[in-house]
Amino acid sequence: MAELQSLWAALLAYVAAGTVAIIAVAMGRRPERSVLALITAGLVLHTASLALRWVRVGYGPFTTLFEILSSNIWSLLTVFVLACWRVPAVRPAAAVVMPVLFMMMGWLLVTNPGEGHLPATYDTIWLYVHVATGKIFLGAVLVAVGLAGLVLLRAVGVAARRFAALPEDAGLDELAFRFMVLAFIFETLMLIAGAVWAQDAWGRYWAWDPLETWSFITWLTLAFFIHLRVTLALRPRLGAVMIMAVFVLAFLTFFGVPFVSTAPHKGAV
Amino acid sequence: MGMEVSLVEPRTARAAARRWLAALASLKLTLVFLALLGAGVVATYLGGAGSVWLLVLPLALFAVNLGCAVITNGVFRRQTALLTFHLALLAIVLLIAAGRLTFLKGQLELSTGETFRGDLTQFESGPWHPSRLAEISFTNHGFAIDYSPGVKRNQTRNTVSWNDESGRRRVAVIGDQQPLALKGYRFYTSFNKGFAPLFTWHPARGPARRGTVHLPAYPIHEYRQSREWTLPDTDVAVWVMLKFDEVLLDPARRSEFRVPREHTLVVRAGAERRELKPGERYMLPQGVLVYEGVTTWMGYNVFFDWTMPWLLAAGLLAVASLAWHFWNKFAARPWER
Repeated sequence: MAELQSLWAALLAYVAAGTVAIIAVAMGRRPERSVLALITAGLVLHTASLALRWVRVGYGPFTTLFEILSSNIWSLLTVFVLACWRVPAVRPAAAVVMPVLFMMMGWLLVTNPGEGHLPATYDTIWLYVHVATGKIFLGAVLVAVGLAGLVLLRAVGVAARRFAALPEDAGLDELAFRFMVLAFIFETLMLIAGAVWAQDAWGRYWAWDPLETWSFITWLTLAFFIHLRVTLALRPRLGAVMIMAVFVLAFLTFFGVPFVSTAPHKGAV
Repeated sequence: MGMEVSLVEPRTARAAARRWLAALASLKLTLVFLALLGAGVVATYLGGAGSVWLLVLPLALFAVNLGCAVITNGVFRRQTALLTFHLALLAIVLLIAAGRLTFLKGQLELSTGETFRGDLTQFESGPWHPSRLAEISFTNHGFAIDYSPGVKRNQTRNTVSWNDESGRRRVAVIGDQQPLALKGYRFYTSFNKGFAPLFTWHPARGPARRGTVHLPAYPIHEYRQSREWTLPDTDVAVWVMLKFDEVLLDPARRSEFRVPREHTLVVRAGAERRELKPGERYMLPQGVLVYEGVTTWMGYNVFFDWTMPWLLAAGLLAVASLAWHFWNKFAARPWER
């Protein structure tokens, strides 16, 4: 099928981009344009794959684990490429961001690509608002993770020569903080859109189901991080560790809870 | 001497109050309360609904902390956007509290052709709920639901009618994402729906009565289409079961919810068992039970919470003000060399 061939080609482009980014760190080179070009080529192929599937099954990538993983790899990389385009200082973070995505790509490869069923409760504009804001939220956290990773790699002395050319830790930390603030804003929007959707889909805007609860805990953790950074003069390394913790929590909420919980958040009722 | 005391004491008291306010306004305390709220959410999630104070207490402390910060912190007051964000958060907390005091959440079931007259099968409500359910009525005119292969439910289309404020009859199709909103109450179709055998009961003395028995939800309880009930004004327990052979919702193809074309109703009262077709009678010492046929019932969720539009407005205000605050704050780019 063309959609799967296109997806595999996209994954190959991503793997090539990630490999170049990681090897460049070891070699002390800065092939940032090549990395971005490969990711962008992958995104074009990936977009074609998602569009072909959307046309074939008649709904967007919202229901099965395969669809959710695939669309999230796409959205995370899209946010990353846009961040690299707007803020060139983000570009070296590819060496940290791509391995995270390799993990998701590996998971995608062992997932059943079969069709799902779009529940009746998904036939609403709020689905798109909720999903889009959620993807921007996670993408922004991932960019912050990439920058935090650079701070931590430099702290342990990895590729010192390569990273010497990057902004100081304080600069990277400030940049990462801004992406965390962006993530906070979009997670708030995601929660609001989800509540509006839940009200009309299930007759209640909030019911503390597992996904709602863990999303709120993630929101509180982000609020705590932002407050902590504003209140106390956090050292960049400690800030970087906290960003990693927020990402782990957000990642488990996104990709863990919906698939281990039997609560009706997936709308399959 | 006495004069000196009366001048000094109020000043000391004011200074002490200011110290207390400043201490309560501490940003470090905000961190503690956020952590407490997080712990409360986890404890409530793991422990069930009985631990609501684990949420209320940190939220109340957070409100006190924020109030003190607004009073004592001039820098905070001057940052209009940041202040607006925090006040919007406070408004959300207060609105949620007001909502919990006045909300209503419940369920009801209506057979096709039946009119809702304010009775719920179960409900929970806040202590100050201004119940106006008795003023509401609407009629269920039946529903249509189609299923994709694998018995995957698609949209529910339920036709209902009611009289508006001017007495004019109104008809609408409600369903997923489309509730019926009357006097602040929102009625939602639910995934609960099923078959309802229709009976007329002619007691030995007194007028005849007509009504339905709601069998367990279909197709969730496909193999348990039976129910025991009591004949009106008697102590006679009757057990009924809908029996049919045709496949109504075929897992292999698209299908639509409908009542079975060929069926019998198994009726058992005491030791006697009969199978009835529509129009047949079941003779009992207490009267005659006539089976009229089978129709459907729809389960509804009803929800009342006047705070919802205000919550949405406060949430959007919070996001907009936060974005505005950081937009101004992030003008500099210290990472650029």
